Amino acid sequence: MKMLALRLKVYVFSSVSLVSLVFSSGQLAAARNGVIRGRVDLRRVVSQAERRPSVNDLGAPAPRVVDDRLRSVVYLEAAPRRAFEVDDGGHAVMDQRNETFVPHLLAIMTGTTVDFPNSDKFYHNVFSLSKASRFDLGRYAAGHSRSIRFDRPGIVRVFCDIHSHMSAFILVFSHPYFSVTDDQGRYHINNVPPGSYGVIAWNEGTASEPKPITVPDGGTAELDFSLR
Amino acid sequence: MRVPRSAALLAWLGVASPLGAQTLPSEPIALADGRVTISGDVSASYGSADPGFFNYTDYEHSSLRLLRVDVSAALKAGPHLSLLGEVRTENRDDIEAYALYARIRPWTARDFDIQVGRIPPTFGAFARRTYANDNPLIGYPLAYQYLTSLRPDSLPAHADELLQKRSLGWRLRYSLGSSTADRGVPLVSAFRWDTGVQVHAGAGSVRATVAITAGTVSNPLFFDDNSGRQIAGRLELRPVAGLIAGVSLARGRFVADSAARSALGEVPSASGDAFAQTAWGSDVEYSRAYYLLRFEAVVSAWSLPIVKAPAIANPLRATSTSIEGRYKFMPGMYVAARFDHIGFSDITGSTSTAPWDAPVTRVELGTGYSIQRNLLLKVSYQHNTRDGGLLRRVENLGAAQLVFWF
Repeated sequence: MKMLALRLKVYVFSSVSLVSLVFSSGQLAAARNGVIRGRVDLRRVVSQAERRPSVNDLGAPAPRVVDDRLRSVVYLEAAPRRAFEVDDGGHAVMDQRNETFVPHLLAIMTGTTVDFPNSDKFYHNVFSLSKASRFDLGRYAAGHSRSIRFDRPGIVRVFCDIHSHMSAFILVFSHPYFSVTDDQGRYHINNVPPGSYGVIAWNEGTASEPKPITVPDGGTAELDFSLR
Repeated sequence: MRVPRSAALLAWLGVASPLGAQTLPSEPIALADGRVTISGDVSASYGSADPGFFNYTDYEHSSLRLLRVDVSAALKAGPHLSLLGEVRTENRDDIEAYALYARIRPWTARDFDIQVGRIPPTFGAFARRTYANDNPLIGYPLAYQYLTSLRPDSLPAHADELLQKRSLGWRLRYSLGSSTADRGVPLVSAFRWDTGVQVHAGAGSVRATVAITAGTVSNPLFFDDNSGRQIAGRLELRPVAGLIAGVSLARGRFVADSAARSALGEVPSASGDAFAQTAWGSDVEYSRAYYLLRFEAVVSAWSLPIVKAPAIANPLRATSTSIEGRYKFMPGMYVAARFDHIGFSDITGSTSTAPWDAPVTRVELGTGYSIQRNLLLKVSYQHNTRDGGLLRRVENLGAAQLVFWF
């Protein structure tokens, strides 16, 4: 029997272009997964958001931790069908510490619940007005945590309603083929079914053009990016 | 401290933004590796006409019909010294230097600062959060905005003259001192900052601030108009997250030397405390989850020269109470309400005994919707009543306000 070619159309982000991939379900079952790895070089690192000038304060504000804006996310522009079979993304944590979201960048799958503990001695108020997720967790004190489940893929900008200099990104994917770079810009996307893909690197709102790559059966494909 | 027209300010904002002309900034502009930061607040309000002058401010503008542009900047000259400033224009008037001071932190590890120049208000809570994105409604608390019938530079000769001017604080003059019609003063001015030296210290949940300045809380000054100084202090407690309780006290010479000379033929000695304004304040803020509640009470007493009978009973007191609440009922949307009352002590004239200015009560209800994180649309409704005076005694006013900040 002639195998039925399955044509998938996948939105990774609403803001990126739509692409189509052709996969054979029989080929997927027989193939051994591979790895995409490489490095993202940031020619210019986005400077952290400074505090607004505290002109109306009676004294200087307390020092705070600097955001880590060196990290990027590398992801497949489109993914094989079986990537969507996972429906429970588990838990992730975005702490609030020294008036900073830690980590500044989180990449998760749809269905993931993110906990937002408050590790400061004062209130924070996490909120987002992003299309992918609009929420407001209210004010809560140190030692308390609130959670939100992310069910729609997209880019979620997270802020604190009390401390305007606090911001973070949560990238929500509908497939598992993404990786956050380490502090050297290195990344690994594991368990990628063999095939041809477009790969995108993203940092602080800037996305690269999709780069084509072919993952060999059970092998490793190398791909570097340069942003800005 | 005025500089020429406001158009330069707006043009400068566009040039300074590193994000380019097509993009409004969403975060403070940082220059020189973050040593210089610049932020802005723009609010545009349009509402009902206010013939009763319930919402008029220090600058003779109604807060319900106001285009206000603030630009703030901070320069970190090192770990011990910062220079901070803010310029403001209202309804495209000339740019006013609202704040300009040096912040000195002798010990970087300690919460201890000395601020010198045109400094933030020490007294009360609201005066340091007048920016539209800090105010859930469009109107201001009466204590900080409502113009009483007192002026520092123009004085009533007797109680009858003062009683005749009840409710006319937006524009009046008396027989002693300046003969130019001008506004009266609020209990505490939220629209000008005083000039002097301020010392702030904090440890744990306690913060204390003391300042010596040229003006008084109702009449902050850049250049002093009398030989007296004001001393103001504030003690603030933050025992648990979300709770802030503060008490404030201020006392300083209120009457300008020119007016005192006109009334008495001489100026009181610099060491005396004659013709002073004394103000006491208490404020509490509590917030939790989606609620924010604020209470603030201000009592102010002014002593004026006694010139003729019937004599003005010193001190003239005014008491203001304000209760404000905000509730966020969904992401990016809230409802808010404020109840405000300002009352005045009685004085006795030739024919009657009455409060020296007409008491005012205001209830304001409003809602806010965040179009973006830093773009807020507010709508509010006010019910104002005034017990006496020559102007309209009841007004129902509506207004909308668009707020942008970065």
